[in-house]
Amino acid sequence: MLLLDYQNVLIEAVLTERFSGAPPVSIDQTVSDFDGVTFHISTPETKSKIVVSIQIRCYEDLVRYGAEQVLNREYGSLVIAPEAGYDFSIQVDLENLPADKEARDELVRNISLMKRNAMAAPFEQAYQEHYHLKEEASKFTSEEAPQGVREGGEVKAIHYREEEAIYVKASHDRVTVIFSTIFREETDRVFGKVFIQEFVDARRRAIQNAPQVLFRNDPPLELQGVPGVKNTGTGEVGYVTFVLFPRHLTPQRMPDVISHIQTFRDYFHYHIKASKAYIHTRMRSRTKDFLQILRRARPDSEEKERKTASGRTYKAGS
Amino acid sequence: MAHQTPAVVMDNGTGFSKLGFAGNDSPSFVFPTAIATKAAQGGGGGGSGSGRPAVANKPSFLTGGAGPGGHLSMKRGTEDLDFFIGDEAIAASSGPGYGLHYPIRHGQIEDWDHMERFWSNSIFKYLRVEPEDHHFLLTEPPLNPPENRENTAEIFFESFNCAGLYIAVQAVLALAASWTSSKVQDRSLTGTVIDSGDGVTHVIPVAEGYVIGSSIKSIPIAGRDITYFVQSLLRDRGEPDSSLKTAQEIKEEYAYVCPDIVKEFAKYDRDSSRFAKHKVMQPGGRQVTVDVGYERFLAPEIFFNPEIYSSDFLTPLPVVVDNVIQSSPIDVRRGLYKNIVLSGGSTLYKDFGRRLQRDIKQLVDARIHASEVRSGGAKSGGLEVQVITHKRQRHGPWFGGSLLGQTPEFRSYCHTKAEYQEYGPSIVRRFALLGGPGGS
Repeated sequence: MLLLDYQNVLIEAVLTERFSGAPPVSIDQTVSDFDGVTFHISTPETKSKIVVSIQIRCYEDLVRYGAEQVLNREYGSLVIAPEAGYDFSIQVDLENLPADKEARDELVRNISLMKRNAMAAPFEQAYQEHYHLKEEASKFTSEEAPQGVREGGEVKAIHYREEEAIYVKASHDRVTVIFSTIFREETDRVFGKVFIQEFVDARRRAIQNAPQVLFRNDPPLELQGVPGVKNTGTGEVGYVTFVLFPRHLTPQRMPDVISHIQTFRDYFHYHIKASKAYIHTRMRSRTKDFLQILRRARPDSEEKERKTASGRTYKAGS
Repeated sequence: MAHQTPAVVMDNGTGFSKLGFAGNDSPSFVFPTAIATKAAQGGGGGGSGSGRPAVANKPSFLTGGAGPGGHLSMKRGTEDLDFFIGDEAIAASSGPGYGLHYPIRHGQIEDWDHMERFWSNSIFKYLRVEPEDHHFLLTEPPLNPPENRENTAEIFFESFNCAGLYIAVQAVLALAASWTSSKVQDRSLTGTVIDSGDGVTHVIPVAEGYVIGSSIKSIPIAGRDITYFVQSLLRDRGEPDSSLKTAQEIKEEYAYVCPDIVKEFAKYDRDSSRFAKHKVMQPGGRQVTVDVGYERFLAPEIFFNPEIYSSDFLTPLPVVVDNVIQSSPIDVRRGLYKNIVLSGGSTLYKDFGRRLQRDIKQLVDARIHASEVRSGGAKSGGLEVQVITHKRQRHGPWFGGSLLGQTPEFRSYCHTKAEYQEYGPSIVRRFALLGGPGGS
């Protein structure tokens, strides 16, 4: 329960059921995912052809950073022209599935990871850029490196929510990922701060090879001059910076790191809410304790009039 | 239309929770309203492995949170996140270390700690939505105390910061779901809802979207009883497999409602092709065949002739419905008879609605006739009795919620977090009537 899944559970469930050889039925479901992503699973033509479409707020940003290539690489022959109102669609023909079960499960998994794959594009690009810069940089010593190499690549901005964005910047010795987060609620902001502090401290305390995490309320230096970044000064916007070091940047680690970092915001909010739930639990049990004490503190009933069955009264204890 | 996130519709019932997005025709997830939590270790004295399920709020006496060492470790640990919900909970509870809890009893939420975690998990893990971006439509049983509503609102606004919240009564949503039936011409919210789930059957009169609380009747016969009845019939005959699961499969697959028991018995005796065979796979791979006989029509018959099953509840369903309507205000009775809506899994038997309509009609006609005779020659205009069967019966309340949740004006009916903070939790005691007069 600590981590959130990367795949969309519903798409996974629907497709697994469909692929298991159950009789074809028509499907028409709109499914939501984090960050305003909407999926649409339908069978527009025949019951055996399932179309899965995705709509992402920041699709334009993603395309700029090569989302189409990534999606085409992942889904290849399944890709069809996007459904009206959606950004990207694939079609699966139930009569044309891979024969063995493992390949089918793999396909289901891959489709349910559609959001992750779409969002992965800028990160993958940043990785490539990093490899490239690293190679370049190895030719120079740090002092005499030319301008472009030392500074690193441009900042890629993904405006994945209305007011929040992820910024990715590659340089020769690291990849920096910055999340801008907004808290509407005072309480959440406090929780968020405590939570982030844990992240910052984790590296100091025990986990040496975790990425470096920084948190600040004004835009970090990396984001200077990036359009759309403004310093509101109210502390409502927070910037969480992850610095990925070469040890996170090996090609083997890449898919995992990308999946993890994508779900950061959801993970963050999920845990803020879980912490609140936990505190509520404790508050409830404490209230219960106090009530118990109050009940115990009630004075013994003083002598009072009692009634016999016939209606006569008498004083108890006299 | 700018991009709008669909509203989330959650119908948490005693047995099953139905979760999904407004606008869909079926819930995205249907799973047991169950939560499996890590069993508390041992408590005070021995017996640590006794398998006793964890107590939700373990009595932490006066020392409170800081007392025993276990609490300190709980502060830093993540035990509160170690739980499963739904089908996973059932699976986990069969293994060691987890205790199973049902936070809802008799339709009402009993354990708020578990419910809060259940919700948080269903939102984040299953529905995968950020509650701040979505409006929520929740359901509640009729006669839910307003305090429960307030508690729910507290959790949804304080914990989840949801964008907007609407709490609707299940019976009203079931009425809205019946609008999909071709028999319904005017989309009124007046009618009698017969809601039969797994545990209990309710007959709920609703006038103009408001439940007539004083007239609600419940019948202690529902899905589970039918299953038990089928099981007992199988046992009596000495079938090779008479497990509860088999009984349930037989009930769901073969049972139907007959117009007349006696004739139906005769038909079976004449024509042996009516007897069915049901194949059961037993654990271990053995396959046995169970004969399915009279229980095909006897099973749902316990609604109409309860005496064949129970000895303490003897009023047939049509009579209960009739009584409910007769105890309602006189000016709505006509509407209640005209729009009797079925909802819940135990109303899905073939011809259930038709039989119910016929029986109620007979009762009504007999009464009209009697009063005609008494009045000496006056003629009554008759009374229309109509039982509405529709395709969405199984998840009726959920579907009604989905229907109403996708209407453009739904958002204006919700209470928002700002309103909640302005007025406090008592704001959810009142909701404008969704889909009522003046609505869509």
